[in-house]
Amino acid sequence: MPEIRVTPLGAGQDVGRSCILVSIAGKNVMLDCGMHMGFNDDRRFPDFSYITQNGRLTDFLDCVIISHFHLDHCGALPYFSEMVGYDGPIYMTHPTQAICPILLEDYRKIAVDKKGEANFFTSQMIKDCMKKVVAVHLHQTVQVDDELEIKAYYAGHVLGAAMFQIKVGSESVVYTGDYNMTPDRHLGAAWIDKCRPNLLITESTYATTIRDSKRCRERDFLKKVHETVERGGKVLIPVFALGRAQELCILLETFWERMNLKVPIYFSTGLTEKANHYYKLFITWTNQKIRKTFVQRNMFEFKHIKAFDRAFADNPGPMVVFATPGMLHAGQSLQIFRKWAGNEKNMVIMPGYCVQGTVGHKILSGQRKLEMEGRQVLEVKMQVEYMSFSAHADAKGIMQLVGQAEPESVLLVHGEAKKMEFLRQKIEQEFRVSCYMPANGETVTLPTSPSIPVGISLGLLKQEMAQGLLPEAKKPRLLHGTLIMKDSSFRLVSSEQALKELGLAEHQLRFTCRVHLQDTRKEQEMALRVYSHLKSTLKDHCVQHLPDGSVTVESILIQAAAHSEDPGIKVLLVSWTYQDEELGSFLTTLLKKGLPQTPS
Amino acid sequence: MDPECSRLLPALCAVLADPSQAVADDTCLEKLLDWFKTVTEAGSSLLLLQENPCLVDLLSHVLDLKPQDVSPRVLSFSLCLAGTFAAQEDCFEYLQQGQLLLGLFGEAGPLSWAAWSVPTVRSGWIRGLRSLAQHPSGLHFLGNSGAVDALFSLQGDSSLFVASAASQLLVHVLALSMQAAPQVTQALNVLTTTFGRCHSPWTEVLWGQLSPLVAHLLESDPIPAAHSLVDLLLSVARSPVFASADCGLWETMARMLSCLSPTQAGSLALGILKLQHCPQALRSQAFRVLLQPLVCILRATTQAPGPPGLLDETSAGSSMMVDTLLSSKSACVGLLCQTLAHLEELQPLPQRPSPWPQTLLVEAAVIILQLCDGSAVPSSSEGGRLCGALAGCSRVQRAALDFLGTLSQGISSRELMPQVFAVLLETLESPASSPMVLKKAFQATLRWLLDLPSPSSCLDLGPHAPLFLRELFPVLQKRLCSPCWEVRDSALEFLTHLTACWGGEADFREALLASEVPKLTWQLLRDPESYVRASAVTAMGQLSSQGLEAVSESPGHPEVQQGLIGELLHILSMDSEGFPRRAVVRVFTEWLRDSHADVARDTEWFVATVLQMVSQDLDWEVRAQGLELVRVFLVQTLGQPNPHCPYAVTLPKVTPPGPLPEVLRTLCQLQIIDFAFRALFDCDRPVAQKACDLLLFLREKTAPCSGLQEPGNSSDVTSVEATLHRWQAGEQSQPLGNLEPEELLAALRSLDLEGFQGRLAESSDHVEKSPQSLLQDMLATVAVLEENVADCY
Repeated sequence: MPEIRVTPLGAGQDVGRSCILVSIAGKNVMLDCGMHMGFNDDRRFPDFSYITQNGRLTDFLDCVIISHFHLDHCGALPYFSEMVGYDGPIYMTHPTQAICPILLEDYRKIAVDKKGEANFFTSQMIKDCMKKVVAVHLHQTVQVDDELEIKAYYAGHVLGAAMFQIKVGSESVVYTGDYNMTPDRHLGAAWIDKCRPNLLITESTYATTIRDSKRCRERDFLKKVHETVERGGKVLIPVFALGRAQELCILLETFWERMNLKVPIYFSTGLTEKANHYYKLFITWTNQKIRKTFVQRNMFEFKHIKAFDRAFADNPGPMVVFATPGMLHAGQSLQIFRKWAGNEKNMVIMPGYCVQGTVGHKILSGQRKLEMEGRQVLEVKMQVEYMSFSAHADAKGIMQLVGQAEPESVLLVHGEAKKMEFLRQKIEQEFRVSCYMPANGETVTLPTSPSIPVGISLGLLKQEMAQGLLPEAKKPRLLHGTLIMKDSSFRLVSSEQALKELGLAEHQLRFTCRVHLQDTRKEQEMALRVYSHLKSTLKDHCVQHLPDGSVTVESILIQAAAHSEDPGIKVLLVSWTYQDEELGSFLTTLLKKGLPQTPS
Repeated sequence: MDPECSRLLPALCAVLADPSQAVADDTCLEKLLDWFKTVTEAGSSLLLLQENPCLVDLLSHVLDLKPQDVSPRVLSFSLCLAGTFAAQEDCFEYLQQGQLLLGLFGEAGPLSWAAWSVPTVRSGWIRGLRSLAQHPSGLHFLGNSGAVDALFSLQGDSSLFVASAASQLLVHVLALSMQAAPQVTQALNVLTTTFGRCHSPWTEVLWGQLSPLVAHLLESDPIPAAHSLVDLLLSVARSPVFASADCGLWETMARMLSCLSPTQAGSLALGILKLQHCPQALRSQAFRVLLQPLVCILRATTQAPGPPGLLDETSAGSSMMVDTLLSSKSACVGLLCQTLAHLEELQPLPQRPSPWPQTLLVEAAVIILQLCDGSAVPSSSEGGRLCGALAGCSRVQRAALDFLGTLSQGISSRELMPQVFAVLLETLESPASSPMVLKKAFQATLRWLLDLPSPSSCLDLGPHAPLFLRELFPVLQKRLCSPCWEVRDSALEFLTHLTACWGGEADFREALLASEVPKLTWQLLRDPESYVRASAVTAMGQLSSQGLEAVSESPGHPEVQQGLIGELLHILSMDSEGFPRRAVVRVFTEWLRDSHADVARDTEWFVATVLQMVSQDLDWEVRAQGLELVRVFLVQTLGQPNPHCPYAVTLPKVTPPGPLPEVLRTLCQLQIIDFAFRALFDCDRPVAQKACDLLLFLREKTAPCSGLQEPGNSSDVTSVEATLHRWQAGEQSQPLGNLEPEELLAALRSLDLEGFQGRLAESSDHVEKSPQSLLQDMLATVAVLEENVADCY
């Protein structure tokens, strides 16, 4: 039964831990393999036992595709490949391949450091996992095997983020991953061609939001940072090493340059160098403006942003520090926060979402007295600001993408059920396509009508050509032939060839019709009259009078006979084959009208 | 129905419906039911009801009566009757339209009436359901009406008849779902779980009832839900309940083996071979099934087939196998990968079949690899087509290399070594090999090389190894220069492992030193990819430990003159990535442990230099590794930690190189103490933990030291303690200064190291993870903007 099946193991009506299984024309593909930051136990990874039921993973799955380097899309990958045992290929873009292990390593270090987790994937596992990766270029059609092909499209969102088209024969699915339809400071907007997939699987984080202008948020951010350093305060910006950090760096760098500010900006943990190295390396993935100005000045070579040293945190006077990790849950950002939290002149700006249980989450929800280890209570007097800089498509953007790709149906993932429901109705109304929003573990099945390739024999084509008409792309023509299925392939051949190949004998069906005419003349005479009549009427056809007295027009045979009861009536027997059906019925009609009176 | 009966029926129904009229006896009602059964079996129930509306009237009338007025016998009869009619799907729908069935069998019906206490009613209720559960709509009805729950409780009914009828109905429901195509899989899965988890004797009875149905499933072509069926059979076979009983299970399995498609039969065969108890004949059959694809490959590609015993018996199924292999490329690839993986899984198991056809398997793996890299010479047209299907297929290559690797452990492997090494070399050399294939080829090569007779016991490595090594090193050399970092890295990992094992062997040393490999490895210390730099560091560390780094002293290479230790120190201080730096400290620790010549020359300088760099490192894993190096150094200077077990054999104590105060003074001068104390307050927990253990060790070693007095001047200790307190508070800019041994001892004693250890053992987010924190967070979040929630990354 030709069908496309989609089962989210994660990201079905939720955000985080993206992992979607797609089964298309017998091929099984896993889209993203993410982790959930909000859990510290098994629940942080998708429940892979649903797939392992189907036998060995490597036999069952044809490939894994990773859309971008965020941990909620790739964080479970080393676990899946090195601990659960998937040994097949993993596809991602070149920037994702370069950056993914850095974030995985970061994540591993925090998990092991903070929680002392022993049963966690190791550096070696991350490396072994990355060796299974096959990197792809944008718009490059990659043949996973003889039947399955994939193709990446630009998705914006973060460096190297891609949407993927998965195609088997004439059936295809597009998975957007996370994407952004408006360009930002360092990335361009997502784009896909009118590929008309059977199914478009799209994220829907901002399913109901029309986002305010990004410029406003940026102005707001700069104003807050500026005001704080002006009054001598310190600004802490907890970030993840790659992604939003670079955008904010560009923003501050430009502002510092324009305003001629001297207050130091630092970036912690020595990651800047590496991150910026990748941004330089993959400059083609950034937006037009950065690419254009690249020749004069590389946007990622910062003049004002310096590497941070632990001792700097105690320096007097204002400064801005970007520190990892982004949710204030461990390491350097937390250490700096503890030092600065007591001073109301200082400010912490959280540029992204924080999961429950982290210090970041606590201060964002307004808690000001935090219990720390050893029963210490940390009083937070510094100002706490939240600014969303995440780059997802909003409702308008999602609709725009659906319009661009023109899918036959849409499936929503990576969003909240309530918001999805709203968007689902909107999509169904506007585009008249079905839209699905399965929960985790729920399977959506779409019947498809696959086109089956049929080979046409050269002989048949030549026969057709012999009729003198040249093929024309815009004028489809009918072609008659016999469809044979042999060696599990279909071919259209001439019936003679089909008979020969299948070793069958031909049977002919003849249709016969009787036409009664009032006539007293003899049968032979009658036949002769019919012959003359037809000869004069049908100038283009071959009309013959055979020695046995019958008349033929092409393959149609006409015989005259006497009526058994009434000698005044003659019977014309008209007989034709299926191929000459049209001519046969025409002749019958013609003869029924009677023969012209011959001058006797 | 004959007209006379039709005429009488309305009156009879009226009598039955009237509670004031007594019905003759039960037997009449039973006979009446029998009659209706015959009538409905012969014709359409729907028509019967339409022609005799009194029947439906009777059913609805029974429902309309006040519960206390209902005669249990009539009620029971009506339930059975309704079920009899509803056995036909169209009639079921008809009765459902009037909600009659729900009224009779649903939760609001007799189930909740007083009459339910009469066993006849319960029995009638079950019989009615048993009759109507004949079609998918009936099954759905059972599920939706809540009847299944009632059935489960009725299994324990006080009436034996009712209980038994309830159990039978449940079995019937399962059996029925196995016939309805869409539900077969679910039903089989439920049964698989049942037999897997529940090992009570009743499961044997259940299987007795189900096995004919399973046998029936096997008759269809193709077999429905084959995968689930395999699971079910294996689950039953594993259940201890069936260990001794012969219940036709083995016959069923044997039949299934022969009628499943080759791909599906493989997993059943593997499952059978993994069973603890199983008839030998079935095992042999299963093993033949598993081997068939490989046998076919060998047949199609070689003139001389392997051991005759195995091949002769397989001829029956082999044509189907060949068909599958040749039908399409993906079928061929799928079947081979699966077979190789199954055999790989079986190879190390104690219950694997004996004799184990090691030679045949090795030959097959070699042939498959040759088919993949295009070097096989097919001897038949099938072989030619196999070549076409497998050429360049990296999926099969990977599976075959994994399998070949596990085959290195076997008695009869030695004669095949030339063949194996040849195909491994071919794969390693081939420009078409993908990075993953190369990695697996290196791993397989390593396994075959390491499983050669132990180098220590036998001086020569056999006739094949030296020859192979001479050819291997040029290939390794080439792969070290690969443009893919994955390949360079895999090659370095291979070199490291091989050197660790064979570094002492003359043949190996000769071949290695004659090649460019050491020089290239050295160059890879400056690779652009950090993973490769780290692997190069480890490899060079290993080569150097074995005295194999020998790089010709060329004046053009300043780094060479500086020595490896200088190069590694350079990496430790300058490399922007953590992996190479971590690798350097690990190599240094090993060198210290093994008293590497470069280290032994001036150990104190070495330790001080390394620590100075490590203490500044931003990567906590480098710092933690640095503490490990310190631990090794302390063990060497102060002796092994005291055994905690009183019965442990006491090792002769290492005598410290000098009197303890001197040793302690040295430790202070080398900044080891400064480093350890700072690490104790490190913001990264594993570092602090390791430092704490280290200081505890130091305290233990210095405790019995009688030669030292408590410091007379207590103000010195106070200043040390003050500094430590400031460090603890996060201000680590102030140095500790050079401590006197007495001060050090006092500081060690004044710190509550056990307390530290306890606190550090808890994960650092234990406060945030507490239920109190969760509740606070939840309450606090109520007021916060909704936007934050969805705004992830």
